[in-house]
Amino acid sequence: MPTTILLGPQRFTTTVGSTVRALGVAGRIAMVNSGWEERESDDGELAGHLDGRGVNLRLHHRMMDVLTKDRHFAAAAIAFRDRMDELRAFYGIRLQAAIDAVHAVAHRTSIHAVGPVAEEAALEAVREVDRWYAAELDELYRSVRATAPLDESGTIGWHRGEIGAVLDECEAVVIAGGNVRTLLRTLRVFDVELRPEQSVVAWSAGAMALTDEVVLFHDYTPHGITAAEVHDRGLGRLPGVVALPHAKRRLRLDDHERMSVLARRFADHRLLLLDDGAVVRFADGATDLPAGARVLDRTGHVSVVGAS
Amino acid sequence: MERLAVNRLRERLPLDGPTIDRFLERFGCPIVEGERATFLYRGDVDEVWVRHRVVGLPDPLPLKRIGDSDLWSVTTVLPEGSRVEYQIEIRKGEHYERFNDPLNPRLAHSPMGSSSVCAAIGYRVPEWVGFDPEARQGTLVDLQVRSKALRRDQPVQIYLPARFNRAQRYPLLVVHDGTDYLEFAAMKTVLDNLIHRLDVDPVVAVFVPPRDRLKEYPNHAPHARFIARELVPLLTEQLPLIDTPEARCLMGSSFGGVASLSTAVRYPGFFGSLMLQSASLVFTDIGFDHGGGPAFDPVVKFVNRFREKPSAVVDRLFMSCGVYEPLITPNRSMVPVFRHTGMTVRYTESRDGHNWENWRDRLGDGLAWLFPGPQKFVYE
Repeated sequence: MPTTILLGPQRFTTTVGSTVRALGVAGRIAMVNSGWEERESDDGELAGHLDGRGVNLRLHHRMMDVLTKDRHFAAAAIAFRDRMDELRAFYGIRLQAAIDAVHAVAHRTSIHAVGPVAEEAALEAVREVDRWYAAELDELYRSVRATAPLDESGTIGWHRGEIGAVLDECEAVVIAGGNVRTLLRTLRVFDVELRPEQSVVAWSAGAMALTDEVVLFHDYTPHGITAAEVHDRGLGRLPGVVALPHAKRRLRLDDHERMSVLARRFADHRLLLLDDGAVVRFADGATDLPAGARVLDRTGHVSVVGAS
Repeated sequence: MERLAVNRLRERLPLDGPTIDRFLERFGCPIVEGERATFLYRGDVDEVWVRHRVVGLPDPLPLKRIGDSDLWSVTTVLPEGSRVEYQIEIRKGEHYERFNDPLNPRLAHSPMGSSSVCAAIGYRVPEWVGFDPEARQGTLVDLQVRSKALRRDQPVQIYLPARFNRAQRYPLLVVHDGTDYLEFAAMKTVLDNLIHRLDVDPVVAVFVPPRDRLKEYPNHAPHARFIARELVPLLTEQLPLIDTPEARCLMGSSFGGVASLSTAVRYPGFFGSLMLQSASLVFTDIGFDHGGGPAFDPVVKFVNRFREKPSAVVDRLFMSCGVYEPLITPNRSMVPVFRHTGMTVRYTESRDGHNWENWRDRLGDGLAWLFPGPQKFVYE
């Protein structure tokens, strides 16, 4: 049965090589690093960690090729991106207002026990905004599939064939970090399907892409929408998990009220913290978080799965 | 608190040349100790002053001779984070002369020439100001725009961000006093760095220099028509720009701030945001005695009229001003006026003056607020 391993960021604490070796994979390993965008081909260091067995799927390069050769797809892609940007702008406005309302309600003194009820209602309003965004995004995908079906693009079909052939030869896949939007887009356009028997090692944006709910977050971002934002669905290999890479650097973990709102907002998911050095192993096709994984609990504190 | 270096020097009177040499070599000039700065001048003169434009400090600020020596000094308060541009003025007999501080190598430049710089404890040049070899560079493209409104060919420089790609779409930033922003506020380097650091979204910027600044910038209909009806449509046609008000921003400093606001007022709703740096928003509440001279007459008329009937001409407005400049009061006064219209206003102050390095140092905050970068998308 395949194993999925999520790692902490690899920039300063590199564990991908030892992790892959521990998997005992003998054959080739597909590398997905399209999140690096134009630096995708600078993959020498990553390939080195894989003992020279890595094969880069070059999804970003392929995407550029498709945009150049398939004008119909390129036009549809631009139209889709423009509409998604607009959707995200409206989502951001609604979301920030809804989140601000939660915090305002939480800070209001409640003498007659209305406060907790009001807070839960305010939080439900945030979830409703998230649901609205997800539904609109689904509609957007349906619309673009109708106007520019990916299956009808000869160029995309050719690339999909090549990617499929490479994947068939690989025993494992590694998915690196980078720009999660770009990474997801390339995975979606080329319909990258991980084989049931393949083990996967992923980190940062790559870890996010394996989940079913990709949530963007950065509590220290200087401006813009400060609330965590639902972005898109991932590959769904690890359903019920929201991956939070660089949690210590990007989240105000000591602001328990804020963290509690985040955790309760995504109450159906486990919020998995992936900091430097983290190794979270889902063995034999499991999707439950293993013992030792660090998560954000509903009280807004960091807890460890399996710890008493 | 330890005694000031210059006071310790005074205890060693009379001072000989080598003692002063060693003192200057050790401490440099100006000497910043805590929240105090000591300015020095050495020479055979009758009087010496520090000339500056810091509101609240005497200008000119006289120096006093130390004993019978040729060393002069004055100590003044300089709060943490301050940055002051100044010059030295001397009198020898009937002869007056003004120049940069010969004991201070640190200079700031502007279209009016250079000045010496005194930086207090806590002031740091932002790290995104200097050239960063890691940052991919955008390009500047020269363009001559035939303008019916201005009845001339107007040169502009267009900044295309690194990795500029016609398959992408970009917001547009129109920069008044464009050449000066490039030369004296290092704005190309700043844009390169802020975009590289993901603080700012990749933008296209158009740098527009004035020809007759005092005529064109204070609420001049042909200038506004050129920007809104000629330049922006031309660029939108030729470049992959996001064709919505939210993606169009006007910016400028001093009179350029007035040019930005007045253009937005003449074309309300066409631009989504403004960045006004130390804008010359001078007004009067009664009468017309504004004290700014004839150049400010059209400014005051415009600002007075706006204050009579304030309106939301953009959605978002970034304002910055130095607390040491005379324009701090008008700028502070305009913040509630703008906010009352419903515009979202971000206003920041700095302990600095009416100068290009102040405006440069505020670019990071302003541009990141107006065009938030894609940090949330990147998880390396």
